[in-house]
Amino acid sequence: MKLLTCPMNGPRNIDEFQSFGPVRAKLDPDGTADTDWSRHLFRAENRKGIVVEWWRHVPSNYFFLAERDLVSNEIIRTFDASELRDLA
Amino acid sequence: MAAGTATRIYPFMPGGAADGTKLVSGAIVLSDLTSQPRFGLKGGGSAAWLAAQGIPLPAVNRIGDHRGMRILRLGNEDVLLLAEDDAKTLAEVKAAWNAAAAPKGYSSWREEGWAWMQLSGPRLAEAMSSLCALDLRPQKFGADDIAQTRVGHIEAVTFRSPAGFDILFDITASAYFARVVAAVAGHTDQHRGHS
Repeated sequence: MKLLTCPMNGPRNIDEFQSFGPVRAKLDPDGTADTDWSRHLFRAENRKGIVVEWWRHVPSNYFFLAERDLVSNEIIRTFDASELRDLA
Repeated sequence: MAAGTATRIYPFMPGGAADGTKLVSGAIVLSDLTSQPRFGLKGGGSAAWLAAQGIPLPAVNRIGDHRGMRILRLGNEDVLLLAEDDAKTLAEVKAAWNAAAAPKGYSSWREEGWAWMQLSGPRLAEAMSSLCALDLRPQKFGADDIAQTRVGHIEAVTFRSPAGFDILFDITASAYFARVVAAVAGHTDQHRGHS
């Protein structure tokens, strides 16, 4: 069983979670070229490295963030979304 | 018919969606508390409104007590009130909330959306260990703890009550849940027979 540690509920079977994909910067609607919009909407990044992703703990409907290594699939840490606001 | 006196049909009642599904009793007992009064609020302003009513709010995933109500904090802005006695205080809170002006959060309709069942009996611990992956032994999971997890493969909220464990989950899964508990009860009985 693979475990994911929910910042609110603690370690749980990863079956209890739903992934919502990487945190992405919002594009400026006035200053973005069509090609960049197209890439943003239709293409997924496929790089190596560390990604910050949105996850949801389904039973409690709690959304949070996880840092994950895309090569080893190791979850480095999980944290509440307020931390991202503090970083921004 | 006056407001609040309409007869509601709950899943296990005649004509309900789970009518005819048996609730196990014996070494493991499943009881249906779905008709018991409860009131849930969620969304921005819920916690502040409840606090302004003088209701002390516990930390997230903890249970508090206030004038005959159990107060379950399911999230920062997600609180469930369960009546323990005649539900007088709960009815007062509900009436005050209905009359109040926003911001006051939103009703989470827990009295309609969730089933409320109770598991008890001499083989309770064994049954819970089959139904739920969490360590729910008393030294790990106290009387004021809440687990939001899966019980019987469905999303559920569970916590200790004097009789055993109370379990809240999507009301549409009532019959399914009763069948899962019956299967677990049958399994533990079988094992007892062979020991």
